[in-house]
Amino acid sequence: MKLLDGLARLQLVVVTGKGGVGKTTVAAALARLLAEGGRRTLLLEIDPRESLHQLLGTEPSGGKIVKVGPRLAVQNLQAQAVIEGLVREKVRVGVLAKKIVASPVFQHFTEGAPGLKEMAILGYALRTVKGEYRHRADVVVLDAPATGHGASMLSAPLLLAEAIEGGQLGEMAQDLAGLIADPRRCGVVLTTLAEEMPVQELVELVTLLRERMGRPPELVVANALYPPFPANAPAPRSGALTETLALWEQRRAVNERELARLGQAWKGPLVELPLLPVDRGPMLLAQVADALGEALS
Amino acid sequence: MSLKSLDRELLVVVGAGGVGKTTLAAALGLQSAKAGADTLVMTFDPSLRLKDALGVGEEAKERPAIVKAGTKGRLEVALLDAGTTFDRLIRRYAPDAAAAERIFSNRFYRDLAGNLAGILEYMAVERLFEVQSERRYARIILDTPPTRQALDFLEAPDRIVNFLDSGAIRIALKPWWEQGGGLRGMPMRLAAKGVEEIADRIIGMRLLGDMLEFFRAFVPLYDGFRERAEEVRKLLRAPETLFVLVSGPGADRIPDTLFFARKLAERGHHLGPIVVNQVHPEAPAPGAPGPLAAGLALFHFLGQRDREGVERLRRLLSRGEPLLAVPLAATPPTDLPSLTSLGATLLAQLPG
Repeated sequence: MKLLDGLARLQLVVVTGKGGVGKTTVAAALARLLAEGGRRTLLLEIDPRESLHQLLGTEPSGGKIVKVGPRLAVQNLQAQAVIEGLVREKVRVGVLAKKIVASPVFQHFTEGAPGLKEMAILGYALRTVKGEYRHRADVVVLDAPATGHGASMLSAPLLLAEAIEGGQLGEMAQDLAGLIADPRRCGVVLTTLAEEMPVQELVELVTLLRERMGRPPELVVANALYPPFPANAPAPRSGALTETLALWEQRRAVNERELARLGQAWKGPLVELPLLPVDRGPMLLAQVADALGEALS
Repeated sequence: MSLKSLDRELLVVVGAGGVGKTTLAAALGLQSAKAGADTLVMTFDPSLRLKDALGVGEEAKERPAIVKAGTKGRLEVALLDAGTTFDRLIRRYAPDAAAAERIFSNRFYRDLAGNLAGILEYMAVERLFEVQSERRYARIILDTPPTRQALDFLEAPDRIVNFLDSGAIRIALKPWWEQGGGLRGMPMRLAAKGVEEIADRIIGMRLLGDMLEFFRAFVPLYDGFRERAEEVRKLLRAPETLFVLVSGPGADRIPDTLFFARKLAERGHHLGPIVVNQVHPEAPAPGAPGPLAAGLALFHFLGQRDREGVERLRRLLSRGEPLLAVPLAATPPTDLPSLTSLGATLLAQLPG
């Protein structure tokens, strides 16, 4: 089966990786491919400072759901807003709900409580595909925040499900931990650069997913690779050219060394995407989506 | 070589994740020690290669390790680990061993406290306070945790203190504190009861019990936490503290960099040089078609993109901070000689 068809059957695809590896671009490209394939897709951005709109060539959404193409919508989602929405739902009395949400106690607690924000985001995604909100989607692509190890989004429900017994939050944690652990419903796409630190974190993340969550990722994307250095390159004629060629050759060598290390730890599907001579924007997104689409079919 | 404008007691290296903060912090540490200052580099998650280069292992989580670089001043590296630091804090500030034990054996502490939002950043601040008050170093260079947004580092400590200190806890604890507290405590107690009921319905009694126990065990430590956070808040704004802001190259990083530079100033921090790291050097325009053409076109593009990014940032910076552009090295600097030359490149660009 084609990899893309496999991803298209899921309800939730979590795209994660270390900061600065092009995670958002990969998430957006994947969302586009899923929408083109006929799935109603919602792409969620969690970062409070929006950057997805640059890639799409649209205006910042300010938290609203924005349609950006056939079957494709994007939203910048803030956990705090979801949590406040939940409070309004649970506490039927509007004045009281308002008071709770506005109180510094509530603000401080929800800001600091472990796992709460991650749960809110995942819960929102789950309810979207279940059709509980006005905007429905078949699949949600989540551009997960890059924390130190990019894993908190995936491990929060399990951690909470183990810590909490009973209560509505406990049940929700159980539900979401079940979703994350189920490869028929939830997919994980790990993005990395072929450089030392990102690969190191990726290897740790693969281990964590396997051992702690009993599930491997669906796909690893090695992004922004320097092109292969031609084996029989003609000798350079100018000094500046010599330097450029040396930089190319050695940066590519780092890529290859790290790809090899990655290959030791991860034998599953791996897509290599080239570093492109294109500024960040709709053009870059189109080209990445093309390259990704080709690799996945 | 002197450290020029970086000759301060505390250098805080900030920037978004993946821009090379840790490597730069190590490079600055080497220069500082070379200039004769006993220097501590506090860092979070150095790569294996960098650890190897500095000759530092896991033991640096417990106490600073000495880097054998043959520098005039002593160079030491401490690795920060939230769990280790949290444990040590409790051991140190709990009124007695039994109180510490109560916290250690608490399920909320064991399973969840390590995941409190911002705990790593908070622990960095605690470690900083600890080291700074020992006065063993002439200079401390603090590398900050890998956050998506550089600002998180500055906000996280407040978030943790607010959380630990949040009224929720006070309210929840009121019934214990005010037992027999007379009429004045009555409305509070009733409110607390309501809160407790809602909380039970939503989060469940077991977690609630664990949390209450955790916060109760924490009561004797609150004031210390708040006091130290206040001290560190002052320290981070003191004239002897300088922030070094690190950014990646390319125009799309500029808004982040400007935003952070502005925020630092607004919050009363002293901003030093802004370092644009890993700038692709300019490459000649590709000539005739051939096996190299596509690759050379890419490098030409990257060189231009990064140069334009640096120029634009320089124009947009309103204040007089120097902007340093560090070229992308052919191989990542992960041994002592290459780290030393990285630091020297950086200092050479500083005025004065």
